[in-house]
Amino acid sequence: MSSKPRLLLAFILAVLLASLLASIFQTQTNLAALQALGAPMPMDVRLGTTCLDLLGFAPTFALLSTLGFIFALPLAAWCARRMPTLRWAIFLLAGAIAIWCALALANTLAPMPTLIAADRSSLGTLGLMLCGSVGALLFGLLGQRAGRPASSTSSDSL
Amino acid sequence: MLRFSRALLLGALFGSAPLLAQDYRIETFSEGLEHPWAMAFLPDGRMLVTERVGRLRIVEADGSLDPEPVAGVPEAFIAAQAGLMEVALDPDYTDNRWLYLSYAHGSLEANNTRLARARLVDDELHDFEVLFTAQPLKAGAAHYGGRIAFLADKTLVLTLGDGFDWREEAQNPANHLGKIVRLNRDGSVPQDNPLIGQEGAAPEIYSLGHRNVQGIFFDAEHNRLYSHEHGPRGGDELNLIEAGNNYGWPLATFGIDYTGARISPYTELPGLSAPLLHWTPSVAPSSLTLYRGELFPNWRGDLFAATLAERSVRRIRVLDGMLAGEEVLFEELEERIRDVRSGPDGALYLLTDSAEGRVLRVVPSE
Repeated sequence: MSSKPRLLLAFILAVLLASLLASIFQTQTNLAALQALGAPMPMDVRLGTTCLDLLGFAPTFALLSTLGFIFALPLAAWCARRMPTLRWAIFLLAGAIAIWCALALANTLAPMPTLIAADRSSLGTLGLMLCGSVGALLFGLLGQRAGRPASSTSSDSL
Repeated sequence: MLRFSRALLLGALFGSAPLLAQDYRIETFSEGLEHPWAMAFLPDGRMLVTERVGRLRIVEADGSLDPEPVAGVPEAFIAAQAGLMEVALDPDYTDNRWLYLSYAHGSLEANNTRLARARLVDDELHDFEVLFTAQPLKAGAAHYGGRIAFLADKTLVLTLGDGFDWREEAQNPANHLGKIVRLNRDGSVPQDNPLIGQEGAAPEIYSLGHRNVQGIFFDAEHNRLYSHEHGPRGGDELNLIEAGNNYGWPLATFGIDYTGARISPYTELPGLSAPLLHWTPSVAPSSLTLYRGELFPNWRGDLFAATLAERSVRRIRVLDGMLAGEEVLFEELEERIRDVRSGPDGALYLLTDSAEGRVLRVVPSE
Protein backbone atom coordinates (compact mmCIF):
# COMPACT_ATOMS: atom_id res chain seq x y z
CA MET A 1 0.00 0.00 0.00
CA SER A 2 1.38 3.41 -0.93
CA SER A 3 1.73 6.06 1.75
CA LYS A 4 -1.35 8.14 0.84
CA PRO A 5 -3.96 5.42 1.46
CA ARG A 6 -2.07 4.48 4.59
CA LEU A 7 -2.17 8.06 5.78
CA LEU A 8 -5.87 8.20 5.05
CA LEU A 9 -6.34 5.00 7.03
CA ALA A 10 -4.26 6.48 9.85
CA PHE A 11 -6.46 9.58 9.81
CA ILE A 12 -9.66 7.53 9.95
CA LEU A 13 -8.33 5.40 12.78
CA ALA A 14 -7.26 8.52 14.66
CA VAL A 15 -10.78 9.95 14.35
CA LEU A 16 -12.32 6.65 15.41
CA LEU A 17 -10.07 6.28 18.44
CA ALA A 18 -10.62 9.86 19.57
CA SER A 19 -14.39 9.46 19.15
CA LEU A 20 -14.49 6.13 20.96
CA LEU A 21 -12.58 7.54 23.92
CA ALA A 22 -14.56 10.79 23.94
CA SER A 23 -17.84 8.89 23.90
CA ILE A 24 -16.80 6.72 26.83
CA PHE A 25 -15.60 9.83 28.66
CA GLN A 26 -18.87 11.69 27.95
CA THR A 27 -20.93 8.77 29.23
CA GLN A 28 -18.97 8.28 32.42
CA THR A 29 -18.94 12.01 33.16
CA ASN A 30 -22.69 12.21 32.71
CA LEU A 31 -23.42 9.08 34.75
CA ALA A 32 -21.20 10.36 37.55
CA ALA A 33 -23.28 13.56 37.65
CA LEU A 34 -26.51 11.55 37.83
CA GLN A 35 -25.05 9.30 40.49
CA ALA A 36 -24.14 12.37 42.53
CA LEU A 37 -27.83 13.33 42.36
CA GLY A 38 -28.77 9.95 43.80
CA ALA A 39 -29.50 7.86 40.72
CA PRO A 40 -28.60 4.18 41.04
CA MET A 41 -25.91 3.15 38.58
CA PRO A 42 -25.43 -0.63 38.47
CA MET A 43 -22.87 -2.02 36.02
CA ASP A 44 -25.43 -3.24 33.47
CA VAL A 45 -26.97 0.25 33.27
CA ARG A 46 -23.51 1.80 32.94
CA LEU A 47 -22.49 -0.60 30.18
CA GLY A 48 -25.77 -0.28 28.34
CA THR A 49 -25.60 3.52 28.40
CA THR A 50 -21.98 3.45 27.26
CA CYS A 51 -22.95 1.28 24.27
CA LEU A 52 -25.91 3.51 23.39
CA ASP A 53 -23.64 6.56 23.46
CA LEU A 54 -21.16 4.82 21.18
CA LEU A 55 -24.00 4.49 18.69
CA GLY A 56 -25.59 7.87 19.35
CA PHE A 57 -22.89 10.28 20.45
CA ALA A 58 -19.64 8.95 18.94
CA PRO A 59 -20.71 9.85 15.37
CA THR A 60 -21.27 13.47 16.45
CA PHE A 61 -17.85 13.60 18.01
CA ALA A 62 -16.35 11.93 14.93
CA LEU A 63 -17.65 14.82 12.83
CA LEU A 64 -16.16 17.36 15.22
CA SER A 65 -12.81 15.61 15.48
CA THR A 66 -12.65 15.19 11.70
CA LEU A 67 -13.16 18.92 11.39
CA GLY A 68 -10.37 19.62 13.86
CA PHE A 69 -7.97 16.92 12.69
CA ILE A 70 -8.21 17.83 9.03
CA PHE A 71 -6.31 21.02 9.78
CA ALA A 72 -4.32 20.00 12.83
CA LEU A 73 -2.81 16.67 11.80
CA PRO A 74 -1.21 17.71 8.48
CA LEU A 75 0.14 20.78 10.25
CA ALA A 76 1.45 18.61 13.09
CA ALA A 77 3.11 16.27 10.58
CA TRP A 78 4.77 19.23 8.87
CA CYS A 79 6.05 20.56 12.20
CA ALA A 80 7.19 17.09 13.31
CA ARG A 81 9.34 16.74 10.21
CA ARG A 82 11.12 19.94 11.10
CA MET A 83 11.36 19.26 14.85
CA PRO A 84 11.75 15.47 15.11
CA THR A 85 12.77 15.58 18.75
CA LEU A 86 9.43 17.17 19.63
CA ARG A 87 7.41 14.79 17.45
CA TRP A 88 5.16 13.27 20.15
CA ALA A 89 4.66 16.53 21.98
CA ILE A 90 3.58 18.14 18.72
CA PHE A 91 0.98 15.46 17.96
CA LEU A 92 -0.24 15.48 21.55
CA LEU A 93 -0.70 19.23 21.44
CA ALA A 94 -2.19 19.23 17.95
CA GLY A 95 -4.86 16.70 18.91
CA ALA A 96 -5.82 18.67 22.00
CA ILE A 97 -5.95 22.00 20.19
CA ALA A 98 -7.91 20.48 17.31
CA ILE A 99 -10.64 19.31 19.68
CA TRP A 100 -10.63 22.59 21.59
CA CYS A 101 -11.08 24.54 18.35
CA ALA A 102 -13.82 22.19 17.11
CA LEU A 103 -15.69 22.52 20.42
CA ALA A 104 -15.31 26.29 20.43
CA LEU A 105 -16.61 26.50 16.86
CA ALA A 106 -19.55 24.22 17.68
CA ASN A 107 -20.45 26.31 20.74
CA THR A 108 -20.29 29.47 18.68
CA LEU A 109 -22.53 28.14 15.94
CA ALA A 110 -24.97 26.09 18.03
CA PRO A 111 -27.93 27.87 19.65
CA MET A 112 -27.17 26.44 23.08
CA PRO A 113 -24.32 27.71 25.28
CA THR A 114 -22.45 24.38 25.22
CA LEU A 115 -23.15 21.64 22.69
CA ILE A 116 -21.47 18.69 24.40
CA ALA A 117 -22.41 18.07 28.01
CA ALA A 118 -18.93 16.98 29.09
CA ASP A 119 -17.58 20.26 27.72
CA ARG A 120 -19.51 22.26 30.34
CA SER A 121 -16.66 22.08 32.86
CA SER A 122 -12.95 22.81 32.44
CA LEU A 123 -12.10 19.30 33.55
CA GLY A 124 -14.53 17.88 31.01
CA THR A 125 -13.08 20.00 28.23
CA LEU A 126 -9.58 18.84 29.17
CA GLY A 127 -10.76 15.24 29.11
CA LEU A 128 -12.17 15.61 25.60
CA MET A 129 -8.97 17.35 24.48
CA LEU A 130 -6.96 14.46 25.86
CA CYS A 131 -9.06 12.06 23.77
CA GLY A 132 -8.08 14.15 20.76
CA SER A 133 -4.43 13.92 21.81
CA VAL A 134 -4.58 10.13 21.91
CA GLY A 135 -6.14 10.08 18.44
CA ALA A 136 -3.45 12.41 17.12
CA LEU A 137 -0.69 10.31 18.67
CA LEU A 138 -2.08 7.26 16.90
CA PHE A 139 -1.96 9.21 13.65
CA GLY A 140 1.63 10.19 14.39
CA LEU A 141 2.55 6.56 15.04
CA LEU A 142 0.79 5.09 12.00
CA GLY A 143 1.88 7.96 9.79
CA GLN A 144 5.48 7.33 10.72
CA ARG A 145 5.13 3.70 9.69
CA ALA A 146 3.36 4.69 6.48
CA GLY A 147 6.30 6.82 5.50
CA ARG A 148 8.98 4.30 6.44
CA PRO A 149 8.85 1.44 3.88
CA ALA A 150 10.42 1.45 0.43
CA SER A 151 10.67 5.18 0.25
CA SER A 152 14.14 6.39 0.60
CA THR A 153 13.54 10.05 1.21
CA SER A 154 12.69 11.36 4.62
CA SER A 155 10.24 13.81 3.09
CA ASP A 156 7.75 10.95 2.52
CA SER A 157 7.56 10.22 6.19
CA LEU A 158 5.60 12.08 8.79
CA MET B 1 -50.91 10.57 6.35
CA LEU B 2 -50.08 8.64 9.50
CA ARG B 3 -50.96 11.64 11.63
CA PHE B 4 -54.26 12.12 9.81
CA SER B 5 -55.10 8.46 10.33
CA ARG B 6 -54.23 8.75 13.99
CA ALA B 7 -56.54 11.73 14.39
CA LEU B 8 -59.38 9.82 12.75
CA LEU B 9 -58.70 6.80 14.91
CA LEU B 10 -58.66 8.85 18.08
CA GLY B 11 -61.90 10.48 17.08
CA ALA B 12 -63.54 7.15 16.50
CA LEU B 13 -62.17 5.81 19.76
CA PHE B 14 -63.47 8.61 21.89
CA GLY B 15 -66.83 8.99 20.30
CA SER B 16 -66.56 12.43 18.78
CA ALA B 17 -65.49 13.29 15.28
CA PRO B 18 -62.26 15.23 15.08
CA LEU B 19 -62.51 18.71 13.71
CA LEU B 20 -61.47 18.73 10.12
CA ALA B 21 -59.99 21.71 8.37
CA GLN B 22 -63.35 22.88 7.09
CA ASP B 23 -64.84 23.02 10.61
CA TYR B 24 -62.88 26.12 11.52
CA ARG B 25 -61.63 29.22 9.83
CA ILE B 26 -58.40 31.01 10.71
CA GLU B 27 -58.43 34.78 10.38
CA THR B 28 -55.52 37.16 10.67
CA PHE B 29 -56.64 39.37 13.53
CA SER B 30 -53.52 41.52 13.72
CA GLU B 31 -50.08 41.61 12.16
CA GLY B 32 -46.80 43.50 12.10
CA LEU B 33 -45.47 42.03 15.35
CA GLU B 34 -41.81 41.11 15.78
CA HIS B 35 -41.53 37.71 17.42
CA PRO B 36 -44.65 38.07 19.58
CA TRP B 37 -44.42 35.93 22.72
CA ALA B 38 -47.57 36.33 24.79
CA MET B 39 -50.98 37.96 24.74
CA ALA B 40 -53.47 39.05 27.36
CA PHE B 41 -57.05 40.24 26.87
CA LEU B 42 -57.94 43.57 28.45
CA PRO B 43 -61.46 44.03 29.84
CA ASP B 44 -62.15 46.81 27.31
CA GLY B 45 -61.81 44.43 24.36
CA ARG B 46 -58.24 45.33 23.50
CA MET B 47 -55.29 43.00 23.77
CA LEU B 48 -51.75 43.30 25.09
CA VAL B 49 -49.02 41.50 23.15
CA THR B 50 -45.37 41.20 24.12
CA GLU B 51 -42.68 41.10 21.49
CA ARG B 52 -39.57 39.18 22.50
CA VAL B 53 -37.44 42.05 21.22
CA GLY B 54 -38.60 44.07 24.22
CA ARG B 55 -41.82 45.83 23.29
CA LEU B 56 -45.31 45.65 24.76
CA ARG B 57 -47.94 46.40 22.13
CA ILE B 58 -51.65 47.17 22.22
CA VAL B 59 -53.95 45.56 19.68
CA GLU B 60 -57.24 47.44 19.39
CA ALA B 61 -60.56 45.63 19.55
CA ASP B 62 -60.78 45.73 15.74
CA GLY B 63 -57.35 44.09 15.41
CA SER B 64 -55.41 47.20 14.42
CA LEU B 65 -52.00 47.48 16.03
CA ASP B 66 -51.25 50.63 17.98
CA PRO B 67 -48.09 51.94 16.29
CA GLU B 68 -46.67 53.19 19.58
CA PRO B 69 -45.41 50.54 22.00
CA VAL B 70 -46.50 50.88 25.61
CA ALA B 71 -44.11 53.20 27.45
CA GLY B 72 -42.38 52.23 30.68
CA VAL B 73 -41.54 48.65 29.80
CA PRO B 74 -38.33 47.53 31.54
CA GLU B 75 -35.26 46.94 29.43
CA ALA B 76 -34.84 43.23 28.82
CA PHE B 77 -31.72 41.29 27.94
CA ILE B 78 -32.38 40.32 24.33
CA ALA B 79 -30.47 37.52 22.60
CA ALA B 80 -31.41 34.12 21.16
CA GLN B 81 -34.24 32.89 23.48
CA ALA B 82 -33.89 35.85 25.85
CA GLY B 83 -36.11 38.91 25.83
CA LEU B 84 -39.49 40.13 26.95
CA MET B 85 -41.73 37.13 27.50
CA GLU B 86 -45.03 36.86 29.37
CA VAL B 87 -47.74 39.42 30.06
CA ALA B 88 -50.52 38.50 32.48
CA LEU B 89 -53.28 40.54 34.06
CA ASP B 90 -53.87 40.51 37.79
CA PRO B 91 -56.95 38.47 38.78
CA ASP B 92 -58.32 41.78 40.16
CA TYR B 93 -57.12 43.84 37.22
CA THR B 94 -60.30 45.85 36.85
CA ASP B 95 -59.77 47.16 40.39
CA ASN B 96 -55.99 47.51 40.60
CA ARG B 97 -54.69 47.71 36.97
CA TRP B 98 -51.66 45.57 37.81
CA LEU B 99 -50.11 43.57 35.02
CA TYR B 100 -47.20 41.19 35.33
CA LEU B 101 -44.28 40.84 32.95
CA SER B 102 -41.56 38.23 32.76
CA TYR B 103 -38.33 38.92 30.91
CA ALA B 104 -34.68 37.99 30.75
CA HIS B 105 -32.63 40.33 32.87
CA GLY B 106 -28.87 40.89 32.86
CA SER B 107 -26.14 40.39 30.30
CA LEU B 108 -24.87 37.53 28.17
CA GLU B 109 -22.43 36.65 30.95
CA ALA B 110 -24.91 36.87 33.85
CA ASN B 111 -28.68 36.72 33.37
CA ASN B 112 -31.85 34.95 34.39
CA THR B 113 -35.62 35.32 34.40
CA ARG B 114 -37.13 38.33 36.16
CA LEU B 115 -40.73 39.00 37.18
CA ALA B 116 -42.05 42.53 37.51
CA ARG B 117 -45.40 44.27 37.72
CA ALA B 118 -46.71 47.70 36.85
CA ARG B 119 -50.05 49.44 36.49
CA LEU B 120 -51.36 50.16 33.01
CA VAL B 121 -52.65 53.72 33.09
CA ASP B 122 -53.40 55.68 29.91
CA ASP B 123 -51.49 53.06 27.91
CA GLU B 124 -48.32 53.62 29.94
CA LEU B 125 -46.79 51.53 32.70
CA HIS B 126 -46.64 53.16 36.11
CA ASP B 127 -45.64 52.06 39.62
CA PHE B 128 -43.13 49.58 38.20
CA GLU B 129 -41.88 47.01 40.72
CA VAL B 130 -39.41 44.16 40.35
CA LEU B 131 -40.92 41.23 42.21
CA PHE B 132 -38.47 38.39 41.68
CA THR B 133 -35.23 37.55 39.89
CA ALA B 134 -34.32 33.89 39.49
CA GLN B 135 -30.98 32.96 41.04
CA PRO B 136 -28.23 32.35 40.27
CA LEU B 137 -27.52 34.52 37.28
CA LYS B 138 -25.92 32.40 34.58
CA ALA B 139 -24.29 32.83 31.18
CA GLY B 140 -25.86 32.12 27.79
CA ALA B 141 -29.28 32.91 26.39
CA ALA B 142 -31.31 29.72 26.65
CA HIS B 143 -34.10 28.18 28.75
CA TYR B 144 -35.90 30.91 30.69
CA GLY B 145 -39.37 29.41 31.14
CA GLY B 146 -41.26 32.66 31.71
CA ARG B 147 -44.95 31.67 31.76
CA ILE B 148 -47.29 32.84 34.53
CA ALA B 149 -50.51 31.44 35.98
CA PHE B 150 -52.62 32.44 38.96
CA LEU B 151 -53.84 29.82 41.42
CA ALA B 152 -57.18 29.74 43.22
CA ASP B 153 -55.81 31.79 46.13
CA LYS B 154 -54.57 34.45 43.66
CA THR B 155 -50.92 33.63 44.28
CA LEU B 156 -48.96 33.37 41.07
CA VAL B 157 -46.73 30.65 39.72
CA LEU B 158 -43.85 31.52 37.41
CA THR B 159 -42.13 28.90 35.29
CA LEU B 160 -38.36 28.89 34.93
CA GLY B 161 -35.70 27.04 32.95
CA ASP B 162 -32.41 25.33 33.63
CA GLY B 163 -30.31 27.67 31.47
CA PHE B 164 -29.40 24.64 29.33
CA ASP B 165 -25.87 24.17 30.71
CA TRP B 166 -27.06 23.74 34.30
CA ARG B 167 -29.44 20.82 33.97
CA GLU B 168 -28.27 19.07 37.14
CA GLU B 169 -29.20 22.23 39.08
CA ALA B 170 -32.86 21.46 38.36
CA GLN B 171 -32.49 18.95 41.21
CA ASN B 172 -30.86 21.44 43.56
CA PRO B 173 -33.49 22.96 45.89
CA ALA B 174 -31.09 25.76 46.84
CA ASN B 175 -31.63 27.72 43.63
CA HIS B 176 -34.28 28.56 41.02
CA LEU B 177 -32.81 26.84 37.95
CA GLY B 178 -35.30 24.36 36.51
CA LYS B 179 -38.06 25.20 38.97
CA ILE B 180 -41.59 26.52 39.12
CA VAL B 181 -41.87 29.18 41.82
CA ARG B 182 -44.93 30.48 43.66
CA LEU B 183 -45.18 34.03 44.90
CA ASN B 184 -47.71 36.40 46.35
CA ARG B 185 -48.66 39.10 43.89
CA ASP B 186 -46.44 41.61 45.68
CA GLY B 187 -43.44 39.30 45.25
CA SER B 188 -43.37 38.02 48.83
CA VAL B 189 -43.20 34.31 49.53
CA PRO B 190 -46.41 32.52 50.55
CA GLN B 191 -45.87 30.92 53.93
CA ASP B 192 -47.45 27.65 52.80
CA ASN B 193 -44.96 27.05 49.97
CA PRO B 194 -43.84 23.41 50.05
CA LEU B 195 -40.15 23.92 50.86
CA ILE B 196 -40.64 26.65 53.45
CA GLY B 197 -38.63 25.71 56.49
CA GLN B 198 -36.45 23.21 54.67
CA GLU B 199 -32.88 24.23 55.42
CA GLY B 200 -30.99 25.50 52.41
CA ALA B 201 -33.99 25.40 50.10
CA ALA B 202 -35.17 28.41 48.12
CA PRO B 203 -38.53 29.26 49.72
CA GLU B 204 -40.11 30.33 46.41
CA ILE B 205 -39.94 26.81 44.94
CA TYR B 206 -43.27 25.20 44.14
CA SER B 207 -41.94 22.25 42.11
CA LEU B 208 -38.56 21.16 40.82
CA GLY B 209 -36.88 18.94 38.25
CA HIS B 210 -37.92 20.90 35.16
CA ARG B 211 -36.01 21.71 31.98
CA ASN B 212 -37.69 24.66 30.28
CA VAL B 213 -41.33 25.18 31.18
CA GLN B 214 -43.06 27.36 28.61
CA GLY B 215 -46.65 26.44 29.27
CA ILE B 216 -48.73 26.57 32.44
CA PHE B 217 -52.45 26.71 33.04
CA PHE B 218 -54.50 26.57 36.21
CA ASP B 219 -57.82 24.82 35.68
CA ALA B 220 -59.83 26.51 38.41
CA GLU B 221 -62.89 24.34 37.80
CA HIS B 222 -61.01 21.16 38.69
CA ASN B 223 -58.26 22.76 40.80
CA ARG B 224 -55.53 21.34 38.57
CA LEU B 225 -52.31 22.99 37.52
CA TYR B 226 -51.01 21.73 34.19
CA SER B 227 -47.67 22.59 32.66
CA HIS B 228 -45.59 21.47 29.74
CA GLU B 229 -41.88 21.71 29.18
CA HIS B 230 -39.39 21.33 26.39
CA GLY B 231 -37.39 18.14 26.38
CA PRO B 232 -34.11 17.92 24.46
CA ARG B 233 -34.41 15.58 21.45
CA GLY B 234 -37.69 13.99 22.44
CA GLY B 235 -39.10 13.97 25.93
CA ASP B 236 -41.28 17.06 25.82
CA GLU B 237 -43.64 16.62 28.75
CA LEU B 238 -47.13 17.50 29.90
CA ASN B 239 -47.22 17.45 33.69
CA LEU B 240 -49.79 17.80 36.42
CA ILE B 241 -48.05 20.08 38.88
CA GLU B 242 -48.43 19.44 42.58
CA ALA B 243 -46.75 21.41 45.33
CA GLY B 244 -43.33 20.08 46.29
CA ASN B 245 -43.15 17.40 43.62
CA ASN B 246 -40.00 16.60 41.68
CA TYR B 247 -40.59 16.13 37.94
CA GLY B 248 -37.32 14.35 37.34
CA TRP B 249 -35.17 16.36 34.96
CA PRO B 250 -32.45 15.30 34.26
CA LEU B 251 -32.59 12.05 36.28
CA ALA B 252 -35.47 10.65 34.27
CA THR B 253 -36.41 11.71 30.76
CA PHE B 254 -37.65 10.29 27.49
CA GLY B 255 -35.33 12.62 25.57
CA ILE B 256 -31.72 12.40 24.54
CA ASP B 257 -29.20 15.17 24.05
CA TYR B 258 -28.93 17.04 20.73
CA THR B 259 -25.54 15.36 20.23
CA GLY B 260 -27.14 11.92 20.48
CA ALA B 261 -25.75 11.36 23.99
CA ARG B 262 -28.00 9.92 26.67
CA ILE B 263 -29.21 12.42 29.24
CA SER B 264 -30.18 9.61 31.59
CA PRO B 265 -30.60 5.86 31.35
CA TYR B 266 -33.93 6.23 33.17
CA THR B 267 -37.38 7.30 32.05
CA GLU B 268 -38.72 6.91 35.57
CA LEU B 269 -37.36 6.57 39.08
CA PRO B 270 -39.01 6.21 42.49
CA GLY B 271 -39.87 9.56 44.03
CA LEU B 272 -40.06 11.39 40.71
CA SER B 273 -43.39 12.42 39.19
CA ALA B 274 -43.98 10.94 35.76
CA PRO B 275 -45.44 13.09 32.98
CA LEU B 276 -49.08 12.75 31.99
CA LEU B 277 -47.77 12.33 28.47
CA HIS B 278 -44.55 12.91 26.60
CA TRP B 279 -43.93 13.96 23.05
CA THR B 280 -41.14 12.02 21.35
CA PRO B 281 -40.00 13.19 18.85
CA SER B 282 -40.20 16.71 20.19
CA VAL B 283 -42.96 19.10 19.20
CA ALA B 284 -41.43 22.00 21.22
CA PRO B 285 -44.47 23.06 23.28
CA SER B 286 -44.54 26.83 23.80
CA SER B 287 -47.84 27.69 25.46
CA LEU B 288 -50.72 25.95 27.19
CA THR B 289 -54.35 26.86 27.67
CA LEU B 290 -57.66 25.23 28.38
CA TYR B 291 -60.56 26.09 26.12
CA ARG B 292 -63.71 27.29 27.88
CA GLY B 293 -65.36 29.18 25.02
CA GLU B 294 -68.77 28.71 23.46
CA LEU B 295 -67.84 28.72 19.77
CA PHE B 296 -66.43 25.19 19.72
CA PRO B 297 -68.55 23.04 22.05
CA ASN B 298 -66.48 19.93 21.25
CA TRP B 299 -63.35 21.64 22.45
CA ARG B 300 -64.66 22.74 25.83
CA GLY B 301 -62.52 21.52 28.71
CA ASP B 302 -59.69 20.38 26.43
CA LEU B 303 -56.09 21.50 26.73
CA PHE B 304 -54.40 23.22 23.82
CA ALA B 305 -50.60 23.25 23.51
CA ALA B 306 -48.95 25.49 20.93
CA THR B 307 -45.85 24.04 19.32
CA LEU B 308 -42.82 25.55 17.63
CA ALA B 309 -41.08 22.58 16.01
CA GLU B 310 -44.22 20.78 14.90
CA ARG B 311 -45.78 24.11 13.80
CA SER B 312 -49.14 23.16 15.16
CA VAL B 313 -51.46 23.29 18.12
CA ARG B 314 -52.05 20.06 19.94
CA ARG B 315 -55.56 19.58 21.24
CA ILE B 316 -55.36 17.26 24.23
CA ARG B 317 -58.73 15.84 25.07
CA VAL B 318 -59.61 15.75 28.75
CA LEU B 319 -62.50 13.55 29.87
CA ASP B 320 -63.35 13.30 33.56
CA GLY B 321 -59.89 14.53 34.45
CA MET B 322 -58.17 11.91 32.28
CA LEU B 323 -56.31 12.55 29.05
CA ALA B 324 -58.21 10.99 26.19
CA GLY B 325 -56.14 11.36 23.05
CA GLU B 326 -54.70 14.15 20.96
CA GLU B 327 -55.44 15.92 17.74
CA VAL B 328 -52.92 17.94 15.75
CA LEU B 329 -54.44 21.21 14.54
CA PHE B 330 -53.46 24.12 12.31
CA GLU B 331 -50.50 22.42 10.63
CA GLU B 332 -51.72 23.94 7.39
CA LEU B 333 -50.42 27.30 8.64
CA GLU B 334 -46.84 25.98 8.53
CA GLU B 335 -46.00 28.54 11.24
CA ARG B 336 -44.26 28.25 14.57
CA ILE B 337 -46.99 28.94 17.13
CA ARG B 338 -45.74 30.80 20.20
CA ASP B 339 -48.92 31.33 22.17
CA VAL B 340 -52.46 29.96 22.32
CA ARG B 341 -55.27 31.49 24.36
CA SER B 342 -58.95 31.00 24.76
CA GLY B 343 -60.41 34.42 23.96
CA PRO B 344 -63.27 36.12 25.80
CA ASP B 345 -65.33 35.96 22.59
CA GLY B 346 -65.05 32.17 22.46
CA ALA B 347 -62.49 32.17 19.65
CA LEU B 348 -59.10 30.55 19.98
CA TYR B 349 -56.25 33.02 19.52
CA LEU B 350 -52.76 32.16 18.30
CA LEU B 351 -49.48 34.04 18.01
CA THR B 352 -47.12 33.09 15.22
CA ASP B 353 -43.44 33.24 16.02
CA SER B 354 -41.61 35.12 13.29
CA ALA B 355 -40.12 38.49 12.49
CA GLU B 356 -43.50 39.24 10.91
CA GLY B 357 -45.63 37.67 13.58
CA ARG B 358 -49.41 37.68 13.57
CA VAL B 359 -52.33 37.30 15.92
CA LEU B 360 -54.62 34.67 14.47
CA ARG B 361 -58.23 34.10 15.43
CA VAL B 362 -59.77 30.67 15.03
CA VAL B 363 -63.56 30.67 14.64
CA PRO B 364 -66.12 28.16 13.37
CA SER B 365 -66.27 28.06 9.59
CA GLU B 366 -70.01 28.76 9.56
